[in-house]
Amino acid sequence: MVTQARRPDVVRKKKATQSKSRVSIVFWMILTGITGGGLGGHFKPDLPIIGPLVQKLLAWKSSSAPDDATDISDLAEMFRAPATSPGGSVSSIQRPPPGYNAPVQLASSRRPPDKLLIASFNIQVFGESKMAKPEILTLLADVVRQFDVVAIQEVRAKSDDILPRFLAAINADGSRYDFIIGPRLGRTVSTEQYAFVFDTTRVEYNPQQVGTPPDPADRLHREPYVARFRARTQSPAQAFTFWLVNTHTDPDEVSEEVDALADVFRMMQTAAPDEDDVILLGDLNASESQLGRLGQIPGIGWAVSGAMTNTRQNKAYDNLIFMRQATSEYTGRWGVFDLQRAYGLTPEQALMVSDHYPVWAEFLIWESLPPNRMTQAQQPLQR
Amino acid sequence: MVDVEGLRIDLKSSDLATRTSAAEQFSQMGSAATAAAAELVQTCGDDETASQFAVAALEEMGPPPVDSREHLSALLSSPQSLVGYWAATLIGRLKIAAKDCQDNLASVLVSSSNPAVRERAAWALGEIRADSEAAIQALTKASQSSNARLQRLAAASLEQLRA
Repeated sequence: MVTQARRPDVVRKKKATQSKSRVSIVFWMILTGITGGGLGGHFKPDLPIIGPLVQKLLAWKSSSAPDDATDISDLAEMFRAPATSPGGSVSSIQRPPPGYNAPVQLASSRRPPDKLLIASFNIQVFGESKMAKPEILTLLADVVRQFDVVAIQEVRAKSDDILPRFLAAINADGSRYDFIIGPRLGRTVSTEQYAFVFDTTRVEYNPQQVGTPPDPADRLHREPYVARFRARTQSPAQAFTFWLVNTHTDPDEVSEEVDALADVFRMMQTAAPDEDDVILLGDLNASESQLGRLGQIPGIGWAVSGAMTNTRQNKAYDNLIFMRQATSEYTGRWGVFDLQRAYGLTPEQALMVSDHYPVWAEFLIWESLPPNRMTQAQQPLQR
Repeated sequence: MVDVEGLRIDLKSSDLATRTSAAEQFSQMGSAATAAAAELVQTCGDDETASQFAVAALEEMGPPPVDSREHLSALLSSPQSLVGYWAATLIGRLKIAAKDCQDNLASVLVSSSNPAVRERAAWALGEIRADSEAAIQALTKASQSSNARLQRLAAASLEQLRA
């Protein structure tokens, strides 16, 4: 793999005025921002995330007395204070009606040690404004802590300190997350960045295998941001390794872009000779039935099916896509993290967080086959 | 209830914080933000923070009201490229209902100095099923452009018009 080291704060605007030859020359760019810190474990019992325990969660939510309040209730309280919505006060905290059968899965309160929870989250206009709202920042940090890796879309800010500050909030409880962030991308002056935020106690990434793949025909408004990860285990040679391909399509050119992503996916399948697991995830602006050539790749599958992924619950835009047979580490568990229900928010409050919910899928931490693939890698993974 | 009319006024406030707050609230409204479609396109030329929220609102809102097309058409030639880009995008979303914007789009396709605006104009001409001589000429010329993306979008639009 050809790599080129670049500073994480490099601005790369995909304007049509740029020569496409420059894009093709820059085949892989290394864009890493390494921070982190904190002590202690990351598990937070009693915080609901998505999974099959929805009924338990809802029962708990509807029966909890005020003095049973957990961090989630605290978050809901934080929303009450000074914030106002377009409609006025946001003081009423909506709770799900008793017995409500949610169409989505809510996860267990602990991440299973032998499995990885990989998520995608479009945090709409994730920049200074959201960082300046403590209630939103606290909630977003808590959301990230439910997962081992989160692919984030829509980091939009002039400054380069959004992710470092976000990381500090995530790790404030002693968690040990880190992040890597891509270049600013877009056809206009309005650009956005992709990021991966990951729990360093659970996964590691290879700094030599991070970058932005080329789009020689200039079909994508924002080329995906890719990175190769490995589950942390006591036997690294047997650990699950995988590419994550973080993507966000343009809503007005979805059909062309999902076709282009089919080519990106195929390219990533051969990007490393010792890697057969490619997980393309993000905001596709397309449901599983609208994936064009991407959805027609023989053997391809998707985690999210038959569920709405936006906050208004009327669009299925976000997903995780991978080869069913190659990525047999997928356990079959997936979900849409319903922030409104999980944190007891009103619809207006949930929309203040994002117009998307996180989506996630669960994978085993062990490679299904063939073993010892990562031992062939030329570079050690980041510790 | 959200005071959409009040927020539309706020988008034109002399106070940046007020404009930004209004744009942020529109970004959380989904299709309800269409009531301020043209104002949000204008806000794309504002300070970056306000502009970001306006772009977020425009991305999510879907097609604008048909009666906003005249206002949008006038914004096509804005010196601020992001304004022209989003004006073309929203006109394209209106599809055939915005056919009377075709000559303005054709003009932008020919004369805009910003490639992204020209590309969106080429795309929009196909979406609105343009059929005027000016539009066909502009698309034909663009389909021979050295800009590969513009060439492809113009060719695709011509193909749409023939279909």
